[in-house]
Amino acid sequence: MEKDIREDIAWAKINGDVLKSLENPRKLYWVIIALALAAFGVGVACEVYQYNTGMGVANLDNPHVWGLYIATFIFWIGMSHSGTLLSAILHLMHADWRKPIYRFAEAMTTFSLMTAGLFVLVHIGRLWQFYYSLPYPNERGIWPNFQSPLLWDAMAIFTYLSSSVIFLYVGMIPDLAICRDHLHPGWRKKLYTLLSLGWEGTDRQWRNFRVTYLTVACFLIPLAVSVHSIVASDFAMSQQPGWHVTSFAPYFVAGALYSGCAAIITLFIILRYVFKFEEYMTLPILKKTVRLTFAIAMVWTYLNAIEFASVWYGHDVASKDVLIQKMVGPYAYAWWGMIFCGSIVPLVLAFKRFQTNIPVLLVISLLLNLGMWLERWMIVSPTFSHGYYPWTWDHDQWPSWVQWGMVFGSFGWFTLLFMIFCKVFPSVSMYEVKEMVYHRSLHSKKGDTAEQGAH
Amino acid sequence: MSVTNLLDDWAKFRHPHPVDDKPHDPYKWAMAIDLDACSGCNACSVACYAENNIPVVGKDKFLHGQSMHWMRIERYWDEDGRDFPDQGVQFLPMMCQQCEAAPCETVCPVAATNHTSDGLNSQIYNRCIGSRYCSANCPFKVRYFNWYDYPTTDDVWPAEMTQQLNPDVSVRGKGVMEKCTFCVQRLHEAKVVAKGEGRIVREGEVQTACQQVCPTNAISFGNLMDPDAKVHQQWQAQQVELDKDKQAKDENEGGSELRGYRILEELRPYPSVMYLERVRESAI
Amino acid sequence: MSQRHILALFSNFDEAEAVISELRSANIDGFNFDDLTLKSPIEHHEVEEVLGDRSARVQWFTLGGALMGGLLGFWLISGAQANFFAQMKGGKPIVPLPPNFILTYEMFILGGVYISILGFLICAGLPAKRSPLYSTTVSEDQIGILVKAEESAIAKIKSVFLSHEALEIQEEAGK
Repeated sequence: MEKDIREDIAWAKINGDVLKSLENPRKLYWVIIALALAAFGVGVACEVYQYNTGMGVANLDNPHVWGLYIATFIFWIGMSHSGTLLSAILHLMHADWRKPIYRFAEAMTTFSLMTAGLFVLVHIGRLWQFYYSLPYPNERGIWPNFQSPLLWDAMAIFTYLSSSVIFLYVGMIPDLAICRDHLHPGWRKKLYTLLSLGWEGTDRQWRNFRVTYLTVACFLIPLAVSVHSIVASDFAMSQQPGWHVTSFAPYFVAGALYSGCAAIITLFIILRYVFKFEEYMTLPILKKTVRLTFAIAMVWTYLNAIEFASVWYGHDVASKDVLIQKMVGPYAYAWWGMIFCGSIVPLVLAFKRFQTNIPVLLVISLLLNLGMWLERWMIVSPTFSHGYYPWTWDHDQWPSWVQWGMVFGSFGWFTLLFMIFCKVFPSVSMYEVKEMVYHRSLHSKKGDTAEQGAH
Repeated sequence: MSVTNLLDDWAKFRHPHPVDDKPHDPYKWAMAIDLDACSGCNACSVACYAENNIPVVGKDKFLHGQSMHWMRIERYWDEDGRDFPDQGVQFLPMMCQQCEAAPCETVCPVAATNHTSDGLNSQIYNRCIGSRYCSANCPFKVRYFNWYDYPTTDDVWPAEMTQQLNPDVSVRGKGVMEKCTFCVQRLHEAKVVAKGEGRIVREGEVQTACQQVCPTNAISFGNLMDPDAKVHQQWQAQQVELDKDKQAKDENEGGSELRGYRILEELRPYPSVMYLERVRESAI
Repeated sequence: MSQRHILALFSNFDEAEAVISELRSANIDGFNFDDLTLKSPIEHHEVEEVLGDRSARVQWFTLGGALMGGLLGFWLISGAQANFFAQMKGGKPIVPLPPNFILTYEMFILGGVYISILGFLICAGLPAKRSPLYSTTVSEDQIGILVKAEESAIAKIKSVFLSHEALEIQEEAGK
């Protein structure tokens, strides 16, 4: 079994390799930034049009009152669970292979949440009054409705976003100190000096750091689970057929971990190539991530199958009709596409041959995320097209270019944020990689001496 | 907000409605619609448009499903292979059922829809931010969203037609949810008059627009708590009770002489509208 | 007598640990063991044993913060629901426990995380004033031991450092 990382990497080299990624970018970087800005611009233009004209331009109607905005919102929230999975859950499990890759995963979490937040705003009919949903004391004594799952969303996402940002930042402080010490003077040095808060790696600082990191990780795990369960309860707490399903909370969380892991694989491959991080983002680590993704894919498939089975065998005629509608109705292509991308494609990952094949994995990870996006759309739309009320049936509705434009724009926004992050902050956690190398070298030394002692 | 307020009356804040709660007093507005009398003429729908400043959206938007009719006439046909398939249509006037346990009320993030003390489901236009969760959760899909800004849209209320608007009802801009209110503006006015005389509103003093205009008097509306009210007597005669989810009519396996039922009752929204089943076979 | 700082850098933890245990047992006059600080590029909790018991109080902050967050959350929300405009929604009680529980849980976590971070900043002493002696190799791959002691003790401490292969020794300029 190949090693996750070479134990004899000099710590100075680790510093050097990662700090090299913060150097002035090549031309291609600026080209991609321009493209991302353009994509985001498309989204902004669509929103300006919608803001001025009304939600009708999104092609929504009665009863299809929700569309791609909600679906994509859930998609982005889902993608954010990857960071928490890697940094918190695997930390508690002492899986140190997470160390070279969790930094960019956590950054992905933060930016996914920021992107999801945009969709909340564009989805409501009166964007300029979104602050009504915030609990602030006012002279009329009016508060938001705390019974509403959308409001729980607002509070949970606020908690999750702020906690993720804090966790990302605090976890980065030792690295920011390294940047402060080893990068050339200029705006960077000022920024890192400010952000590293005078960190010098004293025993007092490390001791408290270790305790805090562990404690916050313990909080982040139930938080991440509850956030996506709350998003699931937007649907599960309603009465509509196809939504009022008890397994929605774990189903959504499994889907979130799934899309998060797939996105990690995509970004892993890209960063490894662009920044030449082959020593750190090694193929054995990629293999472990792929296997984790496969496991989660199987869990997701299982939860899907459970939902279908219980609807099929139950007496809930309305829900059964919605399920049949999904399979053979107007949304059939999207639904079967979801099944293919979400349950068939990951089976490729079970074969060792493909677990470290980079081009195949890049394509598969993108397909997996496509499947997950389709899943969110298939949760939102079919219930509207075949709900309880017969008067609403047999009415086709498809999203307009305004909706598609905003979905497209959100990817531009995410790319923009992520690319800026990669050039300003170290996307591999230097101190954690040093720890990984150190502990593994101690371990192998012990192994060697044990062997020697045996002779 | 007052924590002392909360602690003083914890019991008051904890009981659910309508099953465990005391009934509304003195008003509980309810309706009964006789489907045998309904001829599908749509006068009720038109009257509602006029009374409540509802915009006429035009053919394109109507085909897109973006129409605003608070009161709509639904048409249902039996597919039993008869010679003239268009014959035998059944009409169902459908509007907000003012449910006692409305699924729309719990899910509005900003509390723009609530339950009033006289049993109506209220919609507060200026609080609504347009999340449309209420419509997503409505089993009847009787909530209508302002997809466009109709006051500023051409040909909705051309020049002199603005004189026809009802001054007692707001004209809604874009991004706001609206629905049937049982003509709350008329109820309010009647209550003001009655209060001036030191009494409650009597049966027959207030009519909703749809009830007023129906040529066959299919719609009856009034105070369910008032024993003199026609709607109270109809509900009683049909043995339909507000806080039950299965009525006497459905209890009996072999069918029943009773005609009164509520739609999608098994979902337990406890609607305030009772429909009387059609008895006659239609000739048209 | 004035106090001065002296910093020594070592290439690995074993050397540094040996130095620390020697300094601890040596009982040099004019040097208090608490004035010794270890600086390292990574955390190394084995060194805690030689450093002796130095506490980390962050978890008390966590406990307090989480409890406060939860209680505040519940009472704030229930109070808001029961205020002057308390209106029935969907037949549920005006102060419904399941949604309030969910939000209490979120506020519990929010309080726990925020106050833990606050506790971390307080307990770790961040933002910190930079030490008078520091080497950027500490953030690279060397372990530093910073000692504050009386003038008289400095020479003895220096000899301990030298006997353990110190890579570099920095001294604060004499006054």
